[in-house]
Amino acid sequence: MATDALRAQVASKWQESFARLNHNEPGIVGLLNFTQAWNIARECIRPRGLDEPDSFTQYDKSTFQASFELLNKSRRLPILLESLLEDMRKRFPVIKEEVDRYTLEYERTSDTSFILNLVFRLLKWYKKWLPMQELGATLHSAFVLSFQTHLFSVLTPTFVRGFKDLCASTLPSTDPRTNVPAPNVEMWQAFEILGLLDRYENIIASVGYEHIEAHVVAACSGRWSNPMLGQLRKWMTDKVVPWMLLMYARNATTADDARAMLQNVGSRFDFHMAKTLCDLRTKEIFDIIIDYPDSSGALQDLKECLHRVDQRASLVHTLRKANQKRLLHPGADTRLILTQYVATIKCLRVVDPPGVLLFKVADPIRRYLRERPDTIRCIVSNLVGDDDSGDSLVDESEPIQPLQQYELDDYLDSNWEPEPVDAGPDFRANKPSDVISTLVSIYDSRDLFVKELQLLLAQRLLAIIDDDTEKVEKERRNVEILKIRFGEAALQICEVMLKDMTDSKRIDGHVQSQKASIVHPIILSKQFWPMLEATEIVMPGQFRTLQDEYAKEFSAFKPDKKLRWLPHLGTVHLVLHLEDRIVEVDVPPLEAAFIELFSQQDVWTMDELIAKVGSSVDGTAALKALLTWVDLGVLKEQAENTFRLLEVAESAADGAREWRTVTKSVIELPSAPSLQQQQAEQMRVYWKFIEGMLTNLGSLSLDRIQAMLKLAPGYDQTIEQLGIFMEAARLEELVVVRDGMWKLTPK
Amino acid sequence: MEQVTSSLAPPRASAPNKSGPASSSQSGAGSVTKRLGNELMTLMMSSSPGISAFPKTDSNLFDWIGTIEGASGTVYAGLTFRISIHFPPNYPYVAMAIKFETPCYHPNVDINTGSICLDILQDKWSAVYSVQTILISLQSLLGEPNNASPLNNDAAAIWDNQEAFKVQLMRYYRPLKDDTA
Repeated sequence: MATDALRAQVASKWQESFARLNHNEPGIVGLLNFTQAWNIARECIRPRGLDEPDSFTQYDKSTFQASFELLNKSRRLPILLESLLEDMRKRFPVIKEEVDRYTLEYERTSDTSFILNLVFRLLKWYKKWLPMQELGATLHSAFVLSFQTHLFSVLTPTFVRGFKDLCASTLPSTDPRTNVPAPNVEMWQAFEILGLLDRYENIIASVGYEHIEAHVVAACSGRWSNPMLGQLRKWMTDKVVPWMLLMYARNATTADDARAMLQNVGSRFDFHMAKTLCDLRTKEIFDIIIDYPDSSGALQDLKECLHRVDQRASLVHTLRKANQKRLLHPGADTRLILTQYVATIKCLRVVDPPGVLLFKVADPIRRYLRERPDTIRCIVSNLVGDDDSGDSLVDESEPIQPLQQYELDDYLDSNWEPEPVDAGPDFRANKPSDVISTLVSIYDSRDLFVKELQLLLAQRLLAIIDDDTEKVEKERRNVEILKIRFGEAALQICEVMLKDMTDSKRIDGHVQSQKASIVHPIILSKQFWPMLEATEIVMPGQFRTLQDEYAKEFSAFKPDKKLRWLPHLGTVHLVLHLEDRIVEVDVPPLEAAFIELFSQQDVWTMDELIAKVGSSVDGTAALKALLTWVDLGVLKEQAENTFRLLEVAESAADGAREWRTVTKSVIELPSAPSLQQQQAEQMRVYWKFIEGMLTNLGSLSLDRIQAMLKLAPGYDQTIEQLGIFMEAARLEELVVVRDGMWKLTPK
Repeated sequence: MEQVTSSLAPPRASAPNKSGPASSSQSGAGSVTKRLGNELMTLMMSSSPGISAFPKTDSNLFDWIGTIEGASGTVYAGLTFRISIHFPPNYPYVAMAIKFETPCYHPNVDINTGSICLDILQDKWSAVYSVQTILISLQSLLGEPNNASPLNNDAAAIWDNQEAFKVQLMRYYRPLKDDTA
């Protein structure tokens, strides 16, 4: 029967258990002993209230051991452990209540001492409940695990925050004046015992990181003159490492031990410091560049940080963005952009000698500069060292060297190094070249520079008055310097221009010796000078005579050459003898021409005057010239645009003051037409060609026109420029376009 | 050398080669190109009304196309004639070959082939003439034919009757088409 079998089974189990607990004692003595031992053991490891006496005070040690041994013999220890853990679970709300009370208090006051007290309180509980060491490691570790699990489950986020604050409060203050707080060893021990260190390790680390960040920002923002990294490292060693020791090297027994323990975490902290500094400098980079060379310390830091932290991409990104926002906009002066570009070159060369960063940052600047109309002019005027252009882009100390050409890779170069990994495909490892080479290389061709140089030289040479040989010599020196950069051939034209200056003097000397004249022209070789603005002022009266006489002498001296006057480029020294006074002035020729006309007749209208000197003079220029005389008190505007000569000064007082005054009217620089005007002039020539080809060949595509224009001498426009030009012609109804074929507008 | 010359010279075999031996050297061809370039420049920059010419392609300067408008006051007024100009390799020592592409009813022009009878294009040629002078001469030839040596006898015969001449002229004349290129 099943019940029999069951009964037999139960009986055998019972017997077995009984035998185990009774230990072959007579009767149930063994059982009684076991019960007693169980009770003692339970009692002694039971979680107690803090105010209850310790188990040691009630029982003597040997009693425990005997009881435990008995239990162990009966293999009842696991059950005992379970009941202990169960008891602990039941008692834990007491602790939870305490945690809640303290954190609430902390929340109210934000005073970390509550957290600290809580931790100590928790430690007390822990110690109270901790079973004796003698009970074996299993029991101990099971208890610790269970206690921590329960503890962490009752710790609120508020506690975590408070804990963080508490950790932070142990750090040395960023203010160097306050003393380092005495290390609170007990607290750290408590943390460790309660397992808080392991659990909240990242929070503690973040406390460290934030502390470092705060210190770096406070110590380094805006301080660029000296490298800060060394100072920061020292600060780390002095202030942060002791703090770290408490936490990370708590078990260390020797210094070496501590060092080994700190190595890992220390390098993490060091990395974080470098990263923070790097971020800070990246953020400041634009201003650092502005401050260069006063900010070289910051650049050194940045260089070292970039070695440690790979933030190159973010540096490039930030700088490009800053440039876009602060530099490359219409409000910025071209000179300023150039200065900043040069500073950028110098700075990034410090940070990254191979030049990858520079290449990436410079690209947008260069592209922007290329679009600016006055970039070349700025660079060139800097090259020749214009006096009024402020500080020079070029270092005085930098030796003058020939411009560098883009060189093909030298396969025999034994110092060759591979391109850096983050170099883009179009990166050119340019050897550290001088600034001027870099600037000139903004443009693909240096012809533009040479042309601009010629223009500028022409302007400056023509601006020289009074035979100032010193100034001519200065220009000559400039040209010699530029020759080193651009090469002899490129500056040949400039040579001719300079030679014209000296030749003019020689020729003038000769002509004067034949027939003295008060005209001292500068004789330009037309082919070699930039196209000068052609206004055809016809000088009236005595000026004309003087010019003609001079021209006659000149052609006698040089029969194969002919003088063509550019009167508007000269100046005239005049002494006007009026009825009551003599006026002595230096004036531009137009003014002179007008006043000459007034010697024929006292009243002129402006239109009459213009008609006399050639219709190429526009009204504004004429009015300006006349107003010069009005200002000098020689003319008076009678009615609108009608002027009368004042033979007698208008008011006596005025006249007295103006009596024989030598007045210098401002003589403006003769302006050579800018490159753009010249281009427009050139385009007029090309238009003739286009007209010619369209007349004879019918309609043509843009490609064909571009190809055919190669027949025109010196044609150098791109097809895009041609397209723009043709479009302009279309708007003027000179041509029509259908299906991409251009033809002349039918007559 | 032959190859160089032939590549520069136009491939048109029909063009009458009056130059005799095509023995110009490479430098000779270069200087011819230079001269033609200069003539083109001069022609473009001068503004002679009613005459114009331009190379057919940018690669070959020896073949040009020209346009002549009849001078006002003549029977040709308002008409535009297209001509072809071919330069020999030894230009300017030998005159260029010019013919009318647009049929031109004129005493000194062959109505079928377009060839022109003009003394300065033949025995009176001189190296100082240029495309521009020749074109101007042609323009004036239209209004003042040389009836003494006609190529087109019919035209010479009715020249004096301008009304009848105009009718004949217009019978042959074809206005220019745009898409010649």
